[in-house]
Amino acid sequence: MTLLERTMTRREALRAGLVGSVGLYIVACGGSTGGSSNAVTLNWITWNDHYMDDQLKAVHSSYQIDARVTLETDDSDGYLKIKQTKGQFDIASTDALWAPKFHSDGLTESFDISSIPASSQLYSVARDFPFWKDGSKTMGYPFGWSTIQIYYNPANVSPAPDSWHVLADSKYKGKVVAENQPTDLMAMAGLATGAKVPYGMTTDEIAKAKHFLQTCKPQFQKLVSQNSDVVKALADGSAWIGIENLGTDFRVKDAGGPTIKFVTPSEGTYGFIDCEQIVTASTNKDQFPKFINDMEQADWIAKNFIANGRPLFNEKAYKLLVDQGQKERADLLLYNKPEEALKMTLKGPSSNEQAYIDAFNEVFGA
Amino acid sequence: MTSSAGQAEAVVRGAGAIRARPRAVLTSRLGEYAGFGPVLLLFGGFFFAPLVLIIAYSFWQVIDYNVVQNWTLDNYRYFLSVPTYVRTFIATLWMTALATVLTIGIAFPFAYWLTRYVSRSWQRPLLLLVIIPFWTSYLLRVASWITILGEGGVVNRTLEALGLIHQPLSFLLYNRWAVIFVLVYLYFPFAALTLFSALERFDWNQLKAAMDLGAPPLTAIWRIMLPQIRPGVITAVIFVFIPILGEYLTPQLVGGVDGVMIGNLVVNFFVGAQYTRGAAIALLITAIAVAMLILFRRSLVLEQVYGR
Repeated sequence: MTLLERTMTRREALRAGLVGSVGLYIVACGGSTGGSSNAVTLNWITWNDHYMDDQLKAVHSSYQIDARVTLETDDSDGYLKIKQTKGQFDIASTDALWAPKFHSDGLTESFDISSIPASSQLYSVARDFPFWKDGSKTMGYPFGWSTIQIYYNPANVSPAPDSWHVLADSKYKGKVVAENQPTDLMAMAGLATGAKVPYGMTTDEIAKAKHFLQTCKPQFQKLVSQNSDVVKALADGSAWIGIENLGTDFRVKDAGGPTIKFVTPSEGTYGFIDCEQIVTASTNKDQFPKFINDMEQADWIAKNFIANGRPLFNEKAYKLLVDQGQKERADLLLYNKPEEALKMTLKGPSSNEQAYIDAFNEVFGA
Repeated sequence: MTSSAGQAEAVVRGAGAIRARPRAVLTSRLGEYAGFGPVLLLFGGFFFAPLVLIIAYSFWQVIDYNVVQNWTLDNYRYFLSVPTYVRTFIATLWMTALATVLTIGIAFPFAYWLTRYVSRSWQRPLLLLVIIPFWTSYLLRVASWITILGEGGVVNRTLEALGLIHQPLSFLLYNRWAVIFVLVYLYFPFAALTLFSALERFDWNQLKAAMDLGAPPLTAIWRIMLPQIRPGVITAVIFVFIPILGEYLTPQLVGGVDGVMIGNLVVNFFVGAQYTRGAAIALLITAIAVAMLILFRRSLVLEQVYGR
């Protein structure tokens, strides 16, 4: 009898099954018990431009606070994850009018921003955004902002556009790229068609926005998942028009691409102001001020600006950038004008998200 | 030991045996099924339970970003009443079917050649070459085609360097054909390995005998070989068709706006927190996959595919 042919006894089979099940359970539960006994680990649901790996390492080695990052695709993604996992997350990054939504639904709680020393480095306007006020407290620690506008290659797009309606121009068939963000693109279409509240459109306004997107669809080459894909398409010339955050022109140039210009459409623009919030169900709430204070120091924020190229709210970091010879770039990206952030349509939850997604899918389906 | 003492001991043993029997039977029964423990945990906890949840979600609603347990058929009614979804389903089905046919059509001659004409010492290295792409990430394998087929990609640059074109060819990417092409590339190894496994155990003398008796090669393959390797072919079809049916990443990366498959619309629902709509449409895709498995169930004799 060979080893393979030998019959397994029931006791062995039982043991093997038990060991396998226990092993699987351990693996499923995370298994590892490693790590420093003194270090605190904060679970942070955020976007990849809110931190740098070196920064997290430095915070860990200096202050014994680890951050375990989970990337969110959008605020709605973060909202549902926090809602469903309760205390699994400690910190949530949220956008503009999403922060009050998280707060009013009990997912996050407000705090005294002056308890975080780094807040003295912020522009004063950022410390007092009215939509984040909760009495004397604030709902989120301000991080950065950007408008979303039209970027175009002047070598191919002429005359220079001044409206979202350039997206409907058949001259640019297959030459437009944008990020696949259904709610935001519907809001953009709402702006283009005169909706009063682009994130809270009525049924009629949604129908008009949908029709506008249908007119624009032939011009769209692709809807991508990352900002970097828009930069790449503009850089390699496969796209002539992109809908993107501030700083895309610099990033295209950095990627070896042509000179790209941007225009703020006459109908207005939309965008984000984002922040860090304390998750109500977190068991590490006391670590939030310390962690944010460490992460939001001006030198790190200046490095973040260089890496990601959109305005941030740390005024001291702006001064560092000026000292480092980055004034022109920072000013072009409106770093020194944080009040501009309040002029755009702020990103927030839709009052009828299902209708937005239905309309978007009905346009971009086959 | 005296006779009476022996009898007493036997009685005691017997009583013990009676007490022990239910436990022994239980242990025996558990032992028989113990091997299923990990699988039960894996599929019960991480597949079956979520599936039940998805089914329940598909009959619920999302109101103001909250999943509300209002039982309704609205999600299904919506998909079946909006032409875009029906069109996208049909487009997904034909793209999947075509990609499957092409994949099997390319993998079959390869597996045939490998089993029939290549010595055993070379078969393994060649099979290794087939599975080498699996050593890199799926995302990377798809994204690499953008570098190859893009306007500034290898193909366009080569054609321009040869003077065959003066403007980059834009039709190589961001349409349905690009999606199908990349899907064939991605799923070729699944089909090739399965077909190789089936053909490896085929008795080639039967094919020779058929041809000796006057059957043309294609007739011999069609009437003698294919019926015998049918389970392998069907398994290959299932391994290719079902994953492609739910594809999202490939159409997202190389399909552009014109190459959308139903999986992309599912993702949009989840991105927009419309979990109940997403669950319903995902179940419709699952229903197609299950229907296909039922259709082919008689041919799914795994012993015939892989042998003992």
